[in-house]
Amino acid sequence: MTSLVPHLVNGLTLGLLFALIALGFTLIVGVMEVINLAHGSLFTLGAYLALSTIGAGWFAGTPFGIWWLELPMASRYFIGLALGPVLAGIAGMLLELCLRPTYGKAPLYGLLLTFGAAIVVEEAIRLIWGTGERNMPVPQMISGAFLMGGLIFSTYKFYAAGFAIVAILMVWLFLERTPYGAIIKAGAHDSEMVRALGYDLARLRLIVFGFGSALAGIAGMVMAPIWGLRPHLGIDVVIPAFLIIVIGGVGSFWGAVAAAILVGMATGITGAYAPAWSLMSMYILLIAIVGFRARGLLGRRSALEN
Amino acid sequence: MAQSKISRRRLLTSAAGAAGGMAFMGPWTHTRVHAQGAAKPIKIGITSDASGQYANSGAEDRRGMMMAIAEANAKGGVLGRKIETFHLDTETTPATGSRVAERMITREGCGFLVGAIHSGVANAISQVAQKYGVIYINTNSSAPSEAGQNCHRVKFVFDANGTNFAKAAVQASIEKFGKKWVLLTNDYVWGHSTAAATKALLKQFGGEMVEEILVPQGTRDFSSQLLKIQQLKPGAVAAAIGGDDQKAMRQQIAQLGMGDKTAWINNQQDWPDVYGLPLDNLFGVFGTTWYYNLDLPGVAEFVQRYKVMFPDTSIKVPGNVFYNGYWSVRELLGAIERAGSTNNIKVIKALEGHKMSARDRMQHHDAWIDPVTHQMQQSIYLATANVGTKDSDDMFKILGSTSPQEAMDTDAAGACKLESYESTPTFDA
Repeated sequence: MTSLVPHLVNGLTLGLLFALIALGFTLIVGVMEVINLAHGSLFTLGAYLALSTIGAGWFAGTPFGIWWLELPMASRYFIGLALGPVLAGIAGMLLELCLRPTYGKAPLYGLLLTFGAAIVVEEAIRLIWGTGERNMPVPQMISGAFLMGGLIFSTYKFYAAGFAIVAILMVWLFLERTPYGAIIKAGAHDSEMVRALGYDLARLRLIVFGFGSALAGIAGMVMAPIWGLRPHLGIDVVIPAFLIIVIGGVGSFWGAVAAAILVGMATGITGAYAPAWSLMSMYILLIAIVGFRARGLLGRRSALEN
Repeated sequence: MAQSKISRRRLLTSAAGAAGGMAFMGPWTHTRVHAQGAAKPIKIGITSDASGQYANSGAEDRRGMMMAIAEANAKGGVLGRKIETFHLDTETTPATGSRVAERMITREGCGFLVGAIHSGVANAISQVAQKYGVIYINTNSSAPSEAGQNCHRVKFVFDANGTNFAKAAVQASIEKFGKKWVLLTNDYVWGHSTAAATKALLKQFGGEMVEEILVPQGTRDFSSQLLKIQQLKPGAVAAAIGGDDQKAMRQQIAQLGMGDKTAWINNQQDWPDVYGLPLDNLFGVFGTTWYYNLDLPGVAEFVQRYKVMFPDTSIKVPGNVFYNGYWSVRELLGAIERAGSTNNIKVIKALEGHKMSARDRMQHHDAWIDPVTHQMQQSIYLATANVGTKDSDDMFKILGSTSPQEAMDTDAAGACKLESYESTPTFDA
C-alpha cells in the first residue's frame, strides 16, 4: 500500500486551485444571483490575453515589441498576470451590459445569454489565436520540480496553490474590510435597500461582474501552465465551479472555499487509489452533501426549512 | 343546377399549380434537377470531431480528406461525378456520432461516411452505417477493437492500432528498461483495448504489469497518477492516453522533470496533439504511421501540396492524422473507380485485399487492406523527441520502422466477424 501523505498534500493543493477557479463564479452568483456559464470562456480568455501580453502579442515585430521581449521573463509574466485578467474583466463588464435586459425576468434568460456568450468567446478565441495548443511560459524561479519525502513535486503547482491562498484572502479582505465590499455584500442581501440608500445598483453590478470575470481570468492564467491552453479549455472549468458553489452553499464565500478543498482532496485521493472514479468523485461528493444538507455546507437556511 | 362557387377554370389552374409544385416537394435530394449532361455528385459525409477531446485532430483529419477530394475533383471527379461533402461535428461523443451518421444517410443523402478519431465514435457510426449498407471509412481511430470485435462489412480502418504499436515497441522496451511495467490507460475503448494488447505482449515477452492506473477521459490533473507512478518505481510506463488528456499529461510530466526519469512507452502519438509543444514535453518512445520528414520519394512534394492548400493553418506541416485522412478518401475514390460503380458491395470488394506500394504510400513497406479485418496493414515507425533540432517543426527523430507483417494484430482475425455480403443491405450512392 503506497503512502497516503503525498496524496493528501497533493489533494490540498488541488483544492486550493479549485477554489481559485470557483472564486469569480462564487462572487457573481452570490451577489447577482446570475449563473455565469461564460465563466469558463472568460477563464480561457484571461489566459490567452496574458499569453499575448507576455509574448508582445500584436506588437510583435514593432520597436515596442522588440523592446518588450528584451525585458526579463519574470517582469513580463507578472505584468501579464495583471493585464490579462483586467482585460478579461472588461470583457465581463461588456457581458454584464448585455445581461441587463434579463434582470427581473425568468432566470433561464440570463442562463441562455451567458451560455451563448460562452460560445461566442470561445469561437472568438479560435479566430484570434487559432485552434492549436499553446504553451504558457513561466519564469524560471517558479518552474521545475523539487523533492519532498523522496517524491518529485512541481514547484509551479505549489506556487499556484500559494497564489490561490493569497487571492482568496485578498478577495475576503476586500469584501469584509472595505466600504465597497460592504456595499457589494449589502447588494447581495437586499438590492432594493441599497438602491434606496442612493447607491447606483447598475454600476455596482457592472463592477462585481467585471471583478468576477477578472478573477476568472487570473485563474485561467495561473492554471494554463498545468492544464495547457486551448480554446475549449473553459468547458473543464464551468462544471467543477458550479459543483463547488452548490456543495459549499450558494452565496457562501467560505463555503465555496471549503467545498473546493473537499473536491480537491476527493479527486486527489481517488486519483491515486481508485483512479477510474477520480472525475466521478466530485459528483458523488455533491450527492452525499446535498442529499443530507440541501443548502450545502455553509449556505443560508431557506425559509422553508424547519 | 346550382351555380358552383369554384369555377372549372380555377379548379384546373389550381390542379396544374399543385402538380407543378409537387416537383419541388421533398425530400430535396431525390428531386433535385441537375443541369443537362451533368452527373449526380457523389456526396461524402465527413464525420469528424470539431469539438471535445479530439477537436484539433478532427480538424487535421478533415483537411486530409479535403485535399484528396480537391485532387479528385481537379481531375474531373470519379466516374465522371464530382465529389461533394457534408460535415457535421461528432463532438468526440459516441451518441452524437450515431445521430450524425443517421442524419447524413437518411436526410442528407450521403453515399459514404469518412472520419473519426475517437474509437467510441467510430464504433457508433459504423453500427449505423452497417444498418444502411453505407460504406464507412474509419480514418484515425486506433482501438484494436475497431478491426476486431467491432468490425463490420461496410467499415474500413485506415489507422494502425494499439496492438500494432505495442508489437513494434514492447519487446525491445522490456529488454532495455526491465520487466516491471505500469500501465496508464485512458478509460474508454481505445485505452482499454490498447492496454489489453500491451498486457498480452508483456506476458508473451516475460514482462510483468505492476499496476494499471485508469484515467477517465477529461482528466486535466495528473498529479495523483504521477505521484503513484513515482511510488511504484516501474521500469517503464506504457501510456495509452489521447487527445487533450495527453497534452495536459505531457505538460505536467515535463514540469516534474519525469520525462527522463522514467521510461515512457507512449503507443501512438498523433501529430496535432504535440505540434508546437516544447520538446521536453515530448519524452519517451512513441509510434506513428508517417512523418513529414521521412526521406522517401513523394514526401516533400506531398508536404508542399499541404502548405499550398492550407497556408493559414497553425499546423505548418502535415502529420499522421492528416495522412490517414488523405489516404482514406484517396483509396475510397480509387476503389469506386476500380469497381466502376458506387454500389456498396462492389466498392467493398474493390477495397478488400487492395495492395498499395511503399512508394505510393510514402512509407518504407508495401501496404494492403486486410480482407479479413478490413484494417490497413502498414509500416509502423517508432520515434522519440528530436532533441537539438533547430527546426521547430522537426520534432520527431525516427528510430526505425517495423513492417506490417511484424506488427500485424494477429488476434483481430479471430475476434472480427464481418457480416456476409448477403446480409449487408445494398446501397448505391
